Amino acid sequence: MSRYARITDNIDWGLISTVIGIIFIGLLCLYSSSRVTNIAIFYKQLTWILISVLAMIVAFIVDYRVLLRSAWPLYILMVSGLILVLIIGREISGARRWLSLGPLGIQPSELAKVIVIIWLAYWGEQKKHIQGYGIRELVTPALFIFIPVGLILIEPDLGTAGIVALISCTLLLLLGIKRSTFISLLVLALSGMPFVWYSLKDYQRLRIISFLDPSRDPLGSGYHAMQSKIAVGSGGLLGKGFLEGTQTQLRFLPEHHTDFIFSVVAEEWGFAGSALLLLLYVTLVTKIMQIGFKAKDRFGTMICFGIAAYFTLHLFINIAMAIGIFPVVGVPLPFISYGGSFMLINWICIGLVLNISWRRFIF
Amino acid sequence: MNSTNNIPGPHIDDDLKWKAKIFMAFIFCLFTVLLLRLLNMQVFKGSYYEGLARNNRIRIISIPAQRGQILDRNFEVLADNRPAYNLMVMPEDVSDVSSIAGRLAEILECEEAEIIEKIKEGKKRPYNPVALARDISFYQMASIETQLYTMPGVSIDATSERDYVLKELSAHALGFLGEISRRQLEAFGPKSPYAPGDLIGKSGVESICEETLRGTKGVRIFEVDALGRKIHVLDERAPVPGKDVVLTIDKRLQLAACRSLGGRAGAVVAIAPSTGEILAMVSSPSFDPNLFLSPMTPETWKEIIEDPMHPLENRSIRGQYSPGSVFKVLIAALALNSGFVTPDDKVYCPGSYSLGDSTFKCWRKEGHGHVDLATALTQSCDVYFYVLGERLGIDRISSFCQDMGLGRPTGIEFRDELAGLVPTREWKQKRFKEPWQKGESVITAIGQGFTLVTPLQIAKVMSGIVNGGKVITPRILASTQMTQERNLNIRENELAVILEGLKAVVEADRGTGRAIKDPRFTMGGKTGTVQVVRGYTSKLPDQSDLPYKIRDHAWFFGFSPVENPEILVVAIVEHGGSGSAIAAPVVRDVIHEYYVSKGVIDEQVCQDNR
Repeated sequence: MSRYARITDNIDWGLISTVIGIIFIGLLCLYSSSRVTNIAIFYKQLTWILISVLAMIVAFIVDYRVLLRSAWPLYILMVSGLILVLIIGREISGARRWLSLGPLGIQPSELAKVIVIIWLAYWGEQKKHIQGYGIRELVTPALFIFIPVGLILIEPDLGTAGIVALISCTLLLLLGIKRSTFISLLVLALSGMPFVWYSLKDYQRLRIISFLDPSRDPLGSGYHAMQSKIAVGSGGLLGKGFLEGTQTQLRFLPEHHTDFIFSVVAEEWGFAGSALLLLLYVTLVTKIMQIGFKAKDRFGTMICFGIAAYFTLHLFINIAMAIGIFPVVGVPLPFISYGGSFMLINWICIGLVLNISWRRFIF
Repeated sequence: MNSTNNIPGPHIDDDLKWKAKIFMAFIFCLFTVLLLRLLNMQVFKGSYYEGLARNNRIRIISIPAQRGQILDRNFEVLADNRPAYNLMVMPEDVSDVSSIAGRLAEILECEEAEIIEKIKEGKKRPYNPVALARDISFYQMASIETQLYTMPGVSIDATSERDYVLKELSAHALGFLGEISRRQLEAFGPKSPYAPGDLIGKSGVESICEETLRGTKGVRIFEVDALGRKIHVLDERAPVPGKDVVLTIDKRLQLAACRSLGGRAGAVVAIAPSTGEILAMVSSPSFDPNLFLSPMTPETWKEIIEDPMHPLENRSIRGQYSPGSVFKVLIAALALNSGFVTPDDKVYCPGSYSLGDSTFKCWRKEGHGHVDLATALTQSCDVYFYVLGERLGIDRISSFCQDMGLGRPTGIEFRDELAGLVPTREWKQKRFKEPWQKGESVITAIGQGFTLVTPLQIAKVMSGIVNGGKVITPRILASTQMTQERNLNIRENELAVILEGLKAVVEADRGTGRAIKDPRFTMGGKTGTVQVVRGYTSKLPDQSDLPYKIRDHAWFFGFSPVENPEILVVAIVEHGGSGSAIAAPVVRDVIHEYYVSKGVIDEQVCQDNR
């Protein structure tokens, strides 16, 4: 067996095909929705996919254990990016989220999602002798996670900040928290949150919401949610057909190439299409979890679990928002929503997972 | 190699295994929630959302149909259409109601709240444009047009607006349009050809010919995007304009009647006695029907409604008056026809007539001496008709009146006609719980008493006599077929006597209507003066000394030529005083205009007496 044969044999082709299937559906929908507004979006997305595949190959080839050594440099890079974007970032509708990198815009907050995973997995590696963390151990990661989350909130980008926080919590849980600590933290969080929220006056709550996320006005998001629900529901069993979605084609559906792109899938391809897409996503997440399970070290496992959480959270929040069971927050749909940084990170994650999957055969 | 495929990593302990399983289960739960929700929305509620999606993008705009014109018998336009601009708004497309309402209120010079209210009201019927203002001025249209691009949802519709060219001069016959009432709208049900705010004929010809005039609305169905911008038209059905309606009215006679009445309260009806065609129908005071087209201010409406002169009432079909001496013609015809009197029978008039304990005065205190029927008509001798009244009795009188068409609507196309009253024994018993008195028959015969008639009824009945007994239903639409209700077959010699008597009213030296004699045409007629308040003698030399409300009503009916009359005119002037002095000239003026329009006489010569 040649070295190359071994490489290709042990690549998880199932995972790659699943991603390609999702990408294909995504491109169909992006074409359909960008056609009416700006077809350039579609070609930009194609370009980003090519760049992302290259990035994935890099993420695949370089041994993931390198990340153990580069966790801190990456963390510093992330925090610098998040600070930089607040200073020199492009301001779009009241939020500074993008850094201009030549012709391309980069969202450091997207990068943060995966760097937090790596950093937490690295941190867990340092503390792997501890069976279940207590409050004392949790102070450090809480602090280091709070820094990027806080910076993202300042941008502001409520959705991304929430995702970063949730991924971190999930990973900490999987790394192991003392049962007693977990229960007391849970009780504290559950009892504290409504108390804090309801002690606020209406206008204060509104002010907090608009402080965190001024780019979305609450009335406007109601309109978005309604139009999105109409799009999804009117798709019916088999959908209206490619390029036939009236909600999309007539621009009733806002943000239809970014946050609400799932509605395009559901409208044009119906329940059949959206169920198929859900199936692909379940397959994707399950495969990542399985790879994590079989990884040869705890670091790899944690990265896989973190990435599974990363995809699951995006999927669930995005789709739940499109079908009206979650408030409208800016969370994109993996591999489908338009957006360069997000696409790049998605593929890098896949690259890392393939890397972890492949390297368990290398001893 | 496959053997190593499913082996967990060496570091995976039971604790992590357990946590990973819970994590996976949680993920599956989340996906199940999404899947069930999608199933519910797309499969079970799909058609509901489909309906929402359709409403979202399809706008149905109705295109109003041009209303038919109303023309007179010579195809002269009485009710026209003129171009107008309506300010429309699609409430769903308005993003900033208060800013738009503020700017429009300034231009339209109305209350901002009023506009906001209309936009709100309009949202109840989704995706239907609402008329914010009808018939805005050219200046208003132009200033809105320049700002239109900053006011999404607002548009200006070029439409046509009704134009009653004669304004108040033909108001009662033509009627007027007004916004359809909620009750009317509900009566039409779901397939209503009307939408709220549509105009509908409220009275007169506009109302009776509503279906002919209305036409069929067109429909334009187009697809819009979320900003309400038209993408493309999906379907279009052109409106079918309403059909024109031709009336039997002659515009020139209508104008002459109005001019001659000169705003005094009363009515004029001109009719072709042999066909029943109405040539003029005037009621006074009148109103400008154009005012009803756009919503009027409450003040204007109150002013019209609370006017003690009731300008909205069409007196020619709804004014019920005592017929007065005009009624004598009817009694004469009845007496001749039933053989109770011959043309040569004479009655001595000493100036009064006694029946039992009562004495009935003739209007001429010194009496008329021996009078035959023609003379009695000419001089309007009361005693002669007292005698006839007693001989005939109320039963014959009332039955003849009913045969001629009194006591019930004349049958003209208008639906709001009043019936008048023909008293009978039964009616008296029922109404007053008293038996009929002989004396009441006597005064009925001279047109006093209980009898009530409308001007149109007099026109119909008198036509029936002067045309030889043919009772013909009056009509105002050229399309209505002539209906002859019955033929009394008045014998020619008897008819000649009546016509001779009526001709002498105008042409004899002692005729009550001699003041209106015109050498250029022959004319017959009969005066009538109705006491409004008993106890005042109606024969005061100058009634203008009396308060308006207690002055007598003045009647006159005239026809021309005397042989085979072509036109018959009835005029009543409320509280006008004497029929001969006040009502007769109105009739003469209309008949005069008739001959002028026929080219028989020269207009120049006869602008004299009124």
